[in-house]
This record gives sequence, C-alpha cells and structure tokens, in this order.
Amino acid sequence: MAHLAHYKEAHPLPFVITHWINLVAMICLIITGFLIHFPVSGTMGVARGVHVFFGFVIFINCVVRMIMSLFVKSAPTGGTRKQTADFKSWLPQKDNRHQAGAWIKYYLFLKKDHPLSAKLGVPQKLSYLLIPILIILMFITGLALWTPTAGALAGFTSFFGGAMSVRIIHYFGMFVFIIFMFIHVYLANVEGTEPTKLMFFHKEHGGLVYDPDKHVIVGDDNLQPRNE
Amino acid sequence: MARSIIDPITRIEGHMRVEMEVENGTVREAWVSGGSFRGMEKVVEHRKPEDAAQIVQRICGVCPVSHNHASTIAAEKAYGIKIPNRARIIRNLIEGAQFLHSHILWLYNLAALDYVNPINAVTGNADVKLAYDIAQGGAVPELGVPLPAPLSVSSDLYEVSARLNKFASNGQLSIFSGNWFEAKDVDGGSAYHLTPELDLILTSHYLEALKYQARSSEIAGLLGGKMPHVMTIIPGGTAFVPTAQKLDDLWAMVNEVYDWVEKTLIPDTLALAVAYPEGLTWGGGCGRFGAWGVFERGSLAYNDRYMPAGVLATKGSLEVSDLDESLITEYVGRSWYEGEGTFTAPDFTTNPKFTEYDVNDRYTWCKAPAYDGKALECTSLSRVLVAYARGQQPEYAKKNAWMVEQVDNFLGAIAPVALAVGKTPLEAAVSMLGRTAIRQLETLYIAQLMKDWTAELIATVKGGSLEDIAAMEGMEAADFASTNMTDYFEKPTTDTGAGSGFWEAPRGALYHSEKVSGGKIDGYQIIIPTTWNLAPINQNGEHGPIEQALMDGCPVFDGTEGDLEMPINALRLIHSYDPCVSCAVHVTDVKTGKKFSTVTNPWGVK
Amino acid sequence: MEQETSTVDFGSMLEARGVSRRDFLKFCGALAVAAGLSQAAAPRVAIALEKSVIGAKEGGLFPVLWIEGASCTGCTESFAQIETPDVGKIVLELISLNYSDVLSAGAGYSVELAKKQTIESGSPYIVVYEGGITQGFGSNTLRVAMETGEEILCHAAEHAAAVVALGSCAVNGGWMAAYPNPAQATGVQAILKKHNIGTPVVNIPGCPANPEWLMSVLVQVLMMGGAEALVAGDVPAVVKTLGLDGEGKPQGIFGQTIHDNCERRGHFENGEFVYEFGSKEEELGYCLYPLGCKGPQTKSNCGVTMWNNRRSWCIQAGSPCLGCCEANPNDPGDNWVEVNTPFYERHRDLHIGDWFFQPTVVAGAITGIVALALIIHGFGMKKSGRTDGGAPFEQRRAWDVKNPDKSIGQYEYSIYEDNDPVVLQKAQQEIAKQYEQATEEVAEAAEAAAEIEEGR
Repeated sequence: MAHLAHYKEAHPLPFVITHWINLVAMICLIITGFLIHFPVSGTMGVARGVHVFFGFVIFINCVVRMIMSLFVKSAPTGGTRKQTADFKSWLPQKDNRHQAGAWIKYYLFLKKDHPLSAKLGVPQKLSYLLIPILIILMFITGLALWTPTAGALAGFTSFFGGAMSVRIIHYFGMFVFIIFMFIHVYLANVEGTEPTKLMFFHKEHGGLVYDPDKHVIVGDDNLQPRNE
Repeated sequence: MARSIIDPITRIEGHMRVEMEVENGTVREAWVSGGSFRGMEKVVEHRKPEDAAQIVQRICGVCPVSHNHASTIAAEKAYGIKIPNRARIIRNLIEGAQFLHSHILWLYNLAALDYVNPINAVTGNADVKLAYDIAQGGAVPELGVPLPAPLSVSSDLYEVSARLNKFASNGQLSIFSGNWFEAKDVDGGSAYHLTPELDLILTSHYLEALKYQARSSEIAGLLGGKMPHVMTIIPGGTAFVPTAQKLDDLWAMVNEVYDWVEKTLIPDTLALAVAYPEGLTWGGGCGRFGAWGVFERGSLAYNDRYMPAGVLATKGSLEVSDLDESLITEYVGRSWYEGEGTFTAPDFTTNPKFTEYDVNDRYTWCKAPAYDGKALECTSLSRVLVAYARGQQPEYAKKNAWMVEQVDNFLGAIAPVALAVGKTPLEAAVSMLGRTAIRQLETLYIAQLMKDWTAELIATVKGGSLEDIAAMEGMEAADFASTNMTDYFEKPTTDTGAGSGFWEAPRGALYHSEKVSGGKIDGYQIIIPTTWNLAPINQNGEHGPIEQALMDGCPVFDGTEGDLEMPINALRLIHSYDPCVSCAVHVTDVKTGKKFSTVTNPWGVK
Repeated sequence: MEQETSTVDFGSMLEARGVSRRDFLKFCGALAVAAGLSQAAAPRVAIALEKSVIGAKEGGLFPVLWIEGASCTGCTESFAQIETPDVGKIVLELISLNYSDVLSAGAGYSVELAKKQTIESGSPYIVVYEGGITQGFGSNTLRVAMETGEEILCHAAEHAAAVVALGSCAVNGGWMAAYPNPAQATGVQAILKKHNIGTPVVNIPGCPANPEWLMSVLVQVLMMGGAEALVAGDVPAVVKTLGLDGEGKPQGIFGQTIHDNCERRGHFENGEFVYEFGSKEEELGYCLYPLGCKGPQTKSNCGVTMWNNRRSWCIQAGSPCLGCCEANPNDPGDNWVEVNTPFYERHRDLHIGDWFFQPTVVAGAITGIVALALIIHGFGMKKSGRTDGGAPFEQRRAWDVKNPDKSIGQYEYSIYEDNDPVVLQKAQQEIAKQYEQATEEVAEAAEAAAEIEEGR
C-alpha cells in the first residue's frame, strides 16, 4: 500500500457524471463507427442515428466539462481533501515540475520508486489536454462527413484535402481514442482498482496523505475514523 | 521537292503531326509524330489490378472499353480466373457497342469530311428532289448511271437543306473553319468529287450518324453505367446484373442500331468508292497484318474469337500464324526516350527524355514496335484479313464463314478497278480506300452479333439449356465444360501472378500486360494499335506503317508553290488508319536495378 | 524548304490557289443565293470570308475554341453523346465551333489559322479546354503545331471571355497527376495563375465530364445573361450568373453529393448492401457502399442527369462510384485517382514513397502494438511488484536532490525525511496519529461551530 489516499474530493460528483457520459458515449461511438465503416445488414440506419446522437453528446459533454472546470473545485493532487479550481489541475502545477522524465523512467522500469506528483502526472496531463482537442476535431470532421454539402464546412474539408482525407482523419482519430482508452484503463487499474472505484462510484480508499502546498507526503490515512 | 506538313491532324483522337517530303506529286518520305506524353504505366504501378482496369481506360476516350477489357483479361490471366459465361456475353455486348459507336463516328463524323463537302450542298444548290431520286436508285446526272446501291434516306432532306442554308446565311463557319474544302487533287481539280445532291444526302447521314453513334454508346451506357469510360467490366467478370427491364431496353437498342447500319453504311461506302476509285491504287503500307482477336466465344481461346487472332507476317500472303508474344519488340532510338534500346515483350523499359523535334534523329513520343523485327499494320483491315485467312483454314472455316463471304463480295466489287491498275483485288484492298471501306463490313458484322448476343443473354438469364446456348455461339456443349453458366463474377483466389491481355480496340491490336504481387501491380506494359501504326523509323531503318503507306504513292497536289498546306490525300490516308494518338504514347517504368531481366539490349537495364 | 505560310493575306492565298477575286465573289454570290439572301448580301459574306477562314466574325453563334491538351478525347466523346440538343444542332445553330481537334473539317495550318483569327477577332469567345497540361520537359510532353501545351493554353486563354476547364484532367491534372505524376500534369486554373492570366475559369470535373453539365453552362452563357457579363469582362457577374462556388465549379451541379441523390439511398438507410459483385443483392439494387462506393464524398449530380441520354449511370449499372468528379483546382495532388484508389475499398491507400497501404492496416497495427506493449508492461509491473498499489514513493524528487536550493518539496515536513526504515515506520505511525488527532480536532471544532451556529 504505497499509493496516495483516494478521496472523493479528487473527483467531485459533476465530474463523475461527465466521466460516465464519456465512457458510454465513447463506447457507443466506437461500436457504431465500426458498423458504419464495415456495414452489417440492417444496422446502418440505427448505427448512424446513434453515432450522430452520441457525437453531439460527447461534444456537449466535453464543452460542459471544460466550462465546469473553471468554477467547480477539485483536489489538485491525490491524498488530500484540499480543493482548488479544477482547471488548475489541467494546467502545469508546481507538483509536476521536472517530473516528466521521472514518470517515463518509472514506467520503463528505469526508476524503482514512484514519482511524486500532482493528481495528474506529466504524461497523463498531456494526454488529457489532447482529448478535448481530439473530441472537437472529431466533432468537426464528423459534421463535415455528416453534412458534406454544408457551405460552412466546405472550406474546412478542402483545407484537409477533400472529403476522403477528412474521412481518414476521422478514422485515425477513432484509433487514437481506442489507444488512449487502452492506456487510460490500463494505467488506472494496473496498480490497483481503487482509482476506478473512486471515479465511478465515489468509493474512497485510504493511503498516504500528500500536502499540495508543501509538495511532500505528510502522512498516512486509513480512513478508519472518517469512513462514511 | 517540297515539304508538306499537317500539324495538327484533326478528326482523330490525340495530337499528331505528319511531315512529308513531296516530289513529283507524291510523297517521297514521311515522318509522323505523336505529340503528347502522359505516363500511364507509372500511374497504375503500386495500385490494384482492379483499379488499373479502370484507370487505363483514360488512355483513350474513343476506345476506353478495349483498354478496360484488355487490362481486365491481363488481370484474369494473372489470377487464373475463368469468367462466367454471362459475364462474357455482357462484356462482348459492351465491347461491341463501343466498336459500333467508334466505327460509325469514325466513318461519318471523322473521315467523311475528307470526301463529303456539306457546304457544297448549299453553294452547289443541291436539288432536293433529284437527291431523293438518286437515293432511290435514279441515275446520277454526272455519271449517267445509278449508284451501285440505293442510299438510305431516313431524314427529311428538305429540312437538312434548309438547316444548311440557315447555317450558311449566318456566315460563321463553325466546324468548317479553315475551309479545307478548297483542297485540290493532283490534277488541280477539286479534291471533293461528290455532286451537291450526294453531298446533301451524305450530310444528312453525317447528322444521323451523330445520333446512332450516340445510340451505340448508349448501349455501352446501359450495360456499363456510362460511356466513355464504362464501369462494369472488372477482373473476374462484370458488375452488371441484368434485369428484365434492362434486357428489354437492350433488345430495342441493338435492333435500332442494326437497322440503321444495315441500310446506310454499305451503300454509302459503295457510293464513295464510285466517286474516289483512285483511292484503291495507293496507300498500301507495310503489308504485314496483326490481329490479337476480339469478342470472346465460349472457349475463351484467342483463335476462336469472333474476330480471331492471327498474324499475316508475309507481305502479299494469306498465310496466317498464331500470335507469339516473344516476337513483339519495341525500339526507342527515334523517340523521346532515353537510350536506343530494343526490348522484348513483356519486358519493355523506357524513360522519357525530350530532346528536340528532328526528323533525322528523334521526332515523336511514340515508340517503334515490331513483330519479328518488322513493322506490322494493326487496323480493322488487319482483323478482317486475318478472319478471312482463318476462314480458309478448315478448323475455323465455319466460325468465319460470314466474313469470308462478305470479303469475297467486296473483292469482287473492287476487281474492275484493281485489274485496271494491274493489281489483284486483294492487293487493291490493301490501299487507302480499301482500308477505309472494309471497316464497314466489320461494323455490319458486329451490329448483327449484338442482336445474337442479346438473344443469347436472354436465353441464359432465362435458364436456357447448355446445348441451345452453345449452338447460339456456333460451338458444342463440350466447349463450355468447366464454364460457370449462372454467375456474373468470379472472385480471385490469389493475389500474385503475371498475365497478358491480347485484345482489339476498334482501331487495331491492343496488348496490356501486368505483373501483380501481393495484390499490387509491380510492372505494367501497354502496346496500342496506333503505336504499331504510328511507329517512327525502327531499329532496321524501316519506316512505320503509316509512314510507309504515305510513301506508297500518296498523291499530293504541288502544282502551285505554297499549296502544300492541304495535302488532303495524306489526311485521308491517316484517317483510314483511324489513329488514336494519345493511346499510342505512354511510358513504362524502370528504376535502377529493378526487376526486368529479359531485354535484348545492354541499355535495357539501367 | 518548308512551305508553312505565316502571313495572313487572303487575297494572295486565293491567287495562290488559282482563284481570281471575281471567281471568289461569284462563289460568295452563289452561297448567298443558296442561303435565300438577296444578291446584295453577297458582298457582306464575301467581306466576312475574305477577312477570315472562320467566316463572319460575328453572327448568331457564339464562337468557341475547343482545345485539347493532354487528353484522351473522352470529354469530346462524351459531349458527342448528347442528344438534347444533338451535336449537329449545337455546332450549326448554337455555337460557332471554330477549332476542335475532333470535329474540325480542316486540319493543320488552316485550323491553326482559324484559331488565331478567332483569338484576334476582338469579339468575345469561350475556350473549352479538355485534358491536363503536362509540364514535363518544359511542357514538351504536350506539343501541337510546334507549340508546347502551356503556350497553347496561355495564348488561347489570354483574350478569352472565359475558359471552361472541362473534365477532371483540365481541372487539376486528373489521373495524370496521380503519384508519381510522371508528366508533371496540372490543371488550367493553376497554369493561368502561374502566368498571371486573369480570365475566369469555370471548372467542370468528371471523367469524362457529363455533356449535360457543359450544356448547362453554355445555356447559362447563351440564354440566361452570362454572355453580357462575359462580354463586359465582369468577373463577379460571371461567377454569379454561372453560380460558381469557391473552386469555380457550378454549384447547381457540384453542390450536392452523389449519395444525396442516389437511387439506392433508401437501401443504404435500411442497411441493405451489396457485398459482392454480381450477387443476388446487386440484382435487387441494394447499396454499393461496402464495395467502396465513393458516392458519399463525391460531389456531382450524376444521379439526376445520369449518362448517355439519361439511359443509366454507374451506380444503376452495378458499379460503385469511383469518385471521378473529385478534383481540387488548387491542388493536383487532390485528384480523383490519388484520392479514391483502391476504388473498391472504403478508404484510399496512403503511401510513403512506393509503399502503399490502407489506413486500417497502419491504425490496426499501431493499436495492436500498443495493446501488446501494455500486456508486456503489465507483466513487468506484476513482476516488479507494482500491481498492488504501485512502488513506494520516491523520498525526494531527483531534481530537488540536485538543486536543493530550489527544492520544490518541503521535505522537512515529509514523513520520508529519515531513511531508516524502522525510524521511518515509527515516524509514519506517529505522524498518522498526529494527523488523525488533528483531523478529529478539526471535525470537533467544526461540529462545535455548527452547534454555535444553530444555537443562534
């Protein structure tokens, strides 16, 4: 038990909901996306309907999530109940400084001990910054494919080298999502399923306590007295 | 001696220039040049054979189906596919529709303006009533006798005359700009011999032909999706699956085209022969003929084809030999390509390199192919003569009986002119006019076959017996052994191999060859009819077929200095070959040290 | 001794042909009589013919030069298939086709002269340009009448009221521009831009272009006011009258996709597909989408105009759309062959040099490699004992160790300050206890505060 304590302050309820929505939408989008690309008899109408619906869902969810990050507070690091505006934990924090190399080394087994970090480690932070960009890109390319004759998107389509290029970008984008999900799910669970339980069900677990102001582990919390 | 140049040659496909040295009213030496290079073989490389079959059509908008077909056959040979019977018939129909389209367009809308002067129907005050009389077998006043056969009148000649008058009164010459109708014969008289009435009738046929060439194309459109550049001939068979309604439309259209062709083409040809008999005395060319065969019979054998494969390798002889791929070579020493190599099929190799236009060195984008080291004419005339020669062989007599009979009739018809100039009828057939005229026999044959194939397709779709279907082909049921009689498409079971597709375009023998590895093309070669005909001087210093034909007594009026700009007979001769120049120019790919090994020349592998 | 005449003197040309001026006037008189005109009209026709080999410079017909570049003549062929109106009507009653490789009765020098006179006539004319322009070897890969392809286009276009780039090759090089583009092909618009020629270009892609498309443009010009705009040289008005989009394509034709107007669209929505050529599903007219139909991304109204006298079209005949109308006039690389091969796959091939591959192959391979790497990594994690909560935390950041003066962590507060595991454990327990107490105190204080709050 060397991980930090998992407090629900890390993932306030609104973000638990948006995360759920992301999960459902993404899985539906990937499945229906494959069905559209490799059509199976009788599924095209449903697949397209579902795909377009969840396309809007995931995009709106992404926008809502980003706006909420401006005023909803969350814990900037693991192992603490202190909270600050959520968007700060998307941006580089002092806790992240000079730790990119440490993270990579750790995952390549070149470093034995676990790097100290904010809620999001450096690679994680980069990938989470990529996701909203990717969702927006997928949304626009998706719209361009959905309504190929809309004037507003014609310039966009032409910029990317025509409708076939847009289709391939959209297609590659899906694989980026799939790869992201693989890595995301793997890293979230490889050292134990506690983060997942917290994220989805708000189930807390004890662990080390980290002080986000002093940037060091300052204690241990087995949650006993405070287990609600 | 004087130089005469036609550049551009019009009423052909593509860009072509001819330069001639004229002496005493005939062409002494000639050089023909193909003016455009586009690089087809390099573009299809690394792509799939299925894609290549579609892309190569874009070599030529006049004979796209043939390129599509030849490429498809090459892919099928590479993949070892035997196409289903129904696909074969549908593909024959698409190909046949293109031949009809091409031959009708060529005769009336391209070549005819060398003989027919529509403006003369106006300026010569054509008597419409007299025109009707002549068409129906009345005497032509200038000849004192009727034409050999009555001419078809499907249009209102008064209306055609009024149209021409209206056009003339506007004053703009449109497609008659340039006014070649002033061209002169060697004796200084007008090169246009028809009376105003005949000009009027044939102009009405010019306008009708526009409709019927389109109707023929429409058949290709029905079965192929669109024409030019049909969509449904694919390696493995066809994407087209007939429905009752489509078969109905098909039946109506093949009959409509046949009816017009049957009553119009042959009488018109005879009328032209009466007006221009001297065309039988010159323009023979190399006298060696090649045909790779077109329109598959059930056996899918080259020699069994409706227009069979064969080579008449000896000048003046009807001795026919089977085609041998290894005897085909290409020489690039007089063309704008690197080196001076001669390469053997299917391993040609060339890199483009423009130097300058110089008839004493390099002067064309066209390469010089040779068969057994010598020039070879590949035209409709070649096909008809090969079919005629095959028809003399007992094995193939029955299959070519129709053509033998028609050619015999034709030779009988031209015999008087031939004997008058001391030639045999067969020798006279190998001439500018012979080449121009004999194409109509093929047109009629194909128009008839279209009806037969439609009937056969209907029979097979309705589940007719194997014996009946074989009989419709003039074959035995046993010839159809191992043939898939019900499907339209056979999936490939491999993705690697090599194959050559021997076929015919309307204008002559066509050859596509490809190597496929892992489903991608690894080497692609094309030799097109016009490359044979438009060839420059070859490795032995022998001129190409068109050059030789020009040098075979092509008369050019040089009575007045400065009048060599309208060498109409040269134009007629070139049109008799129905050239398709953008087909003829293409290039093959070679990269340093790459693949090709069978070359006959040290410059071969670079 | 070449005899190519270079001067344009009709009188001496007549004399050279042994025709006296009187003969010529007589000929013109006959022409006029035949035309049902009075004898007085004869001099007018004579003057017209004397001045040019194209006849009258002005009349009821709009002059058109149809120039073929590096072409297959397919667009001319396609145009020849039109029946409403047929070609005869068009060239005799609608336009004066003063130059055409395929239809001109004349040849050689005299048709070149007809072209020259049309260009120099001062009257507006349209150039229909078919085929690409190959720039290879100084554009000598295309030579007509001793001029290169680029020169021919520029000379014809410079004084034209408009150039119609007919067919995908004319729009952006078409198949010729596909990798490796051996002849360096490109389209009309790019060449005019290169030579700073501002003549408006109407782009009509397609391989070939549908004759009805060209006809609709001609009708716009001849009957719906386009001619005035062209004569006035008013480019915005031309664009507006012809309804051109940002790429110079008529929007009415290229504003919607094949898919939008496809007769098989219902089957697409129902999920009824043809999975193999020549199958039962094809007979039922199901959707060709799984066979790589490019209809969803190809803009043109083929499904409406159809082909060959509206007899059929590609999809009706059982072939997936190959996307032959895909042509970006600003980018020869965005040509229909490059973008749409393999034709019978849903995606184009991408290529790195001569290595061609499908996007699925690369995307699938990368995804597979990542998945495999994660599995292997998982074994590594297991083996290194990190799967149960991860490795112990580092005591100090490596950077902090190197830069103690700028240290991020305030390690004096860290429970990891002492390296001795026994001490560490003790300290941990101690701190945990303290922390627990502290949190309890905080909680009690909060409760107390709440009570006070309530009490008020």
